[in-house]
Amino acid sequence: MRMSTLLREHAEQQFAEELRVLAETDRRPRPPNWHLSPQVVTVYLLGGALDNGFVVTPKYMGNRRLMEIAVATLATDRALLLLGVPGTAKTWVSEHLAAAISGDSTALVQGTAGTGEDAIRYGWNYARLLAEGPSLAALVPSPVMRAMQTGRIARIEELTRIPSDVQDALITVLSEKTLPIPELDTEVQALKGFNLIATANDRDRGVNELSSALKRRFNTVVLPTPDTLEEEVEIVRQRVAALGRALELPAEPPALEEIRRLVTIFRELRAGVTLDGKAKLKSPSGALSVAEAISVLNNGLALAAHFGDGRLQAGDLASSLIGAVIKDPVQDAIVWREYLETIVKERDGWKDLYRACREVS
Amino acid sequence: MSEPAIFGIRHHGPGSARSVLKALAELQPDLILVEGPPDAQEVLPLAADPGMKPPVALLLYDPAEPRRAVYYPFAEFSPEWQAIRHGLQHAIPVRLMDLPQAIRLALEIEAETTTEPVGPVDEAAADADSSEPPAVNPTEEDRDSDEDEDEDEDETSTLPDLRRDPLRWVAEAAGYGDGERWWEHLVEQRQDSRELFQAIRELMATLRAEADAQSPPEEAEQRREAAMRVQLRAARKEGFERIAVICGAWHVPALSDVPPAREDNARLKGLPKRKLAATWVPWTHGRLTHASGYGAGVEAPGFYQHLWDSAGEPTTRWLARIAQLLREHDLIASTASVIEAARLAEALAALRERPRPTLEELNEAALAVLCHGETAPLRLIEEQLILGERLGEVPDGTSMLPLQQDLQRQQKRLRLPPEAGQRLLELDLRKPNDLERSQLLHRLNLLDIPWGRAERASGKGTFKEHWRLRWQPELAVAVIEANLWGNAVLDAATARARDKAQHGEQLSELTDLVEQTLLAELPDAIGEVMERLQNVAALTSDIPHLMDSLPPLARVLRYGNVRQTDAGLVGHVVDGLIARIAIGLPSACGSLDDEAAQAMFDRLRATNTVMGLLRNPEQTAIWQGALAKLSDQSGLHGLLAGYACRLLFEQGALPPPETARRMGLALSLTGEPIQAAAWLEGFLHGSGLLLLHNEALWGILDAWVSELPGEAFTPLLPLLRRTFAGFPAPERRQIGERVRRGGVKRTAIASETEVDVARADRVLPVAARLLGIA
Repeated sequence: MRMSTLLREHAEQQFAEELRVLAETDRRPRPPNWHLSPQVVTVYLLGGALDNGFVVTPKYMGNRRLMEIAVATLATDRALLLLGVPGTAKTWVSEHLAAAISGDSTALVQGTAGTGEDAIRYGWNYARLLAEGPSLAALVPSPVMRAMQTGRIARIEELTRIPSDVQDALITVLSEKTLPIPELDTEVQALKGFNLIATANDRDRGVNELSSALKRRFNTVVLPTPDTLEEEVEIVRQRVAALGRALELPAEPPALEEIRRLVTIFRELRAGVTLDGKAKLKSPSGALSVAEAISVLNNGLALAAHFGDGRLQAGDLASSLIGAVIKDPVQDAIVWREYLETIVKERDGWKDLYRACREVS
Repeated sequence: MSEPAIFGIRHHGPGSARSVLKALAELQPDLILVEGPPDAQEVLPLAADPGMKPPVALLLYDPAEPRRAVYYPFAEFSPEWQAIRHGLQHAIPVRLMDLPQAIRLALEIEAETTTEPVGPVDEAAADADSSEPPAVNPTEEDRDSDEDEDEDEDETSTLPDLRRDPLRWVAEAAGYGDGERWWEHLVEQRQDSRELFQAIRELMATLRAEADAQSPPEEAEQRREAAMRVQLRAARKEGFERIAVICGAWHVPALSDVPPAREDNARLKGLPKRKLAATWVPWTHGRLTHASGYGAGVEAPGFYQHLWDSAGEPTTRWLARIAQLLREHDLIASTASVIEAARLAEALAALRERPRPTLEELNEAALAVLCHGETAPLRLIEEQLILGERLGEVPDGTSMLPLQQDLQRQQKRLRLPPEAGQRLLELDLRKPNDLERSQLLHRLNLLDIPWGRAERASGKGTFKEHWRLRWQPELAVAVIEANLWGNAVLDAATARARDKAQHGEQLSELTDLVEQTLLAELPDAIGEVMERLQNVAALTSDIPHLMDSLPPLARVLRYGNVRQTDAGLVGHVVDGLIARIAIGLPSACGSLDDEAAQAMFDRLRATNTVMGLLRNPEQTAIWQGALAKLSDQSGLHGLLAGYACRLLFEQGALPPPETARRMGLALSLTGEPIQAAAWLEGFLHGSGLLLLHNEALWGILDAWVSELPGEAFTPLLPLLRRTFAGFPAPERRQIGERVRRGGVKRTAIASETEVDVARADRVLPVAARLLGIA
């Protein structure tokens, strides 16, 4: 595989090889404009070995049925809403779904409080508009409109951060599968294969609740936090390895033990109880998602590579770990302090971590 | 003579049921043999009665000891049920074949007595061969465990994995998580032909060969299969040509591969036997589930019922029902959403390469489309549809014991039908119908048939009663058991009450019985019960017991009119009780330690409340006499003396100056300070108003506190604090203010408002709904 100079590749670039092989071997019927059949899309997402021995890496580790529901939803041309707390791989899943189905995950609208209607419908090239008057040539299509024209998957990230009136612009798109352009007295009709994947999180504050009219037009799949410690450890391990490669970090990949410790801390603080169920804990205000665990490890790796001895030590982890846990400088600091003194200190073999955390905080 | 056609089935499965029906129609057998207890052969024809509505169960019980009972539940979608009905409707003889329960039960009893001489407690030991998980409800569930041997994944043995869950092996080979699901998809979802049964037979033959290689089959299982073979041979000898056999899939190979008759006969020879009676009883869907502890249970009886009812297009109908359910509960569920859910379910099934959506896909589609990813509505669906609670019915002609018939008549007359779900019932005892309902429920409780549980028993609302009703199928057995006492509910309850009275030794037990008897309105029993109570009371020298038995009787006396019970009898007993208490009280209160004094204090309070309730001047005088003696008694615990003084003062029996004198006496500095503090606690219990209103008392207390020596004050502080902490906040504040001002001026008192109980009660239904208990 050619070494890419891109900081971050799109899913379809990073896994181009897999997608190609899957498409070649896929003998099942494909819905119009789909690059793969639904079954093979789930194989791409969940990983597995093909008959010819080719191994597909798992993209989503977790409940198989959730991915099946997601793919089946898209196959029925219903829009898909991925819901969950931050860091449960919503965006990740939506990107890979788009990549596998349309071979293109770039038709993306990032939802923010400032997202306007033209990001979802279309805008105008004003120079041209003034010079030539309204025409199709003066129109600037949005990612959604482009996806409709080409029969692909469009993605909307953080749907609930978009103001409600802008959200509702999606209603016509989803129910009529057309986008009217009243200025030109015309419309864009979606080609087969067009669909929409939206992600939203139900934990963040300041969200704009979906109107029920819009909600009805989505099938909802709730992505949970990983069920077991092992599952979570595996996710973190894989992603850190992949990211480390992408960022070309020279440090040795972290020992499983280190990942396990980190994930244990995250799980315990998130659940408010130790893994053995014996002691109650306070939970910090942050979500402590898997994604954050991954970034803590990456951070630690970078520290180890550039300032340490190339091997991940407790000290390399400590600073970014504390940053991840303490989001509210007063409350969370107390939570962390308590956890450190009552749990970490007592645990066998965790002395180095305890000392490192004490030093930093 | 042709070989019998053997159909291996799972006990409750719509697919199996459908396939069996189809096969029977094709085969046109002249005899149908169904796995089941031959003991119930007599009552079998009732299955075709139009009044019979599944779920129902065959009940076999030992008339001498009805507690020993076995159920064989049938749902409408049980293949056996359909086979039996098919036979009865087409005039084909139907026989049950298995080892008679008469023998199995006798064997069980034998095993019990040899291993565990203690007796019936240890049904679990006899059932150790079943794979029953540690019983959820040991008294009831153990009986069901006979059943799970019948399961096709015949779970007769404890250890070998294969025998325990044979289908698991096949399922895993086919890439399924568990045997249940595999069977579900391959057998229950399929709708075609007899080849299925051929396949099942071959599969089971292989599995059993494997299992037998692991370990020899259990004796119990061998006996049962021997019995089945014997019956099969007998039928062939009688000249039946086309025999259809319907049995658990596990038994198929044992019936098709027949050893010499001699062996089977020898195995069955000389087994013990007990005489059993058989009848039909209504059953519930809830009791058909695994979760209820029923070994051969299924996961989703409601869904199976649906599959059975709507043969054509189960998917859309199911989703439409979900939508209706959600709408009933004010959740949005449009027809458009149903369409989308159906499409998703079908797409999911296609993705998983299944011919049609199963419950999994339907649930997932419902969650994603109809519930918008929220799990709370899904719970509702699970409860109402997937379980689909319903209670079966048996026809009127079912052989029933007289008591059962009487109960049924009364249920009809009072419009109080048994229901499977939990139900709240509010009775207004001023209405004759409600009063009778209440009496019926009380009588049943007396007979240990706990159909209804009284909520907030005998609260302040004297003419309202709240009941929580839930008819459990096992109550049928309780009714049969209760038949020992009499042939009608009234007679049986009366007999039971009398019997309890004769055997009751404890006073409190008897007073409870009196209350129950009066609530249940058993005029013929009450005399005897009261007499017994009086006798026991006369012999009781234990004053606390007497005091404990007073409140329930007093309630009866006070509120008797509402219930139209004859309270005259009770009045007599209460008179006697009060007199005895008054006489014995001083000695009962002597030389008590702190803890005992506290207990006695509570009793004094309860008894005093009773006096307030009765408002009988004579009794009050007697009571006050006893209290006066108490307050004069030397060496009495301070708490009690103080309280007696307080009660007398409150009731006006002790004038204020006298009270002040006594207080002065109790608080005099020569006495023990601890005793003084206890006296104070008793005297001021619960309210400091006395102090605020009565300058003299205030002065005495003030003087006592200020003259306490320093070393005595510190240990007393917690005691005093305990006393004062019990006062309502406004009183405490006023006392405090008064102390600060030097205790000169009197202030108006704003005590806490009395709680208006009637008004407060009105909030309860709303609160109950908010909490979701209604």
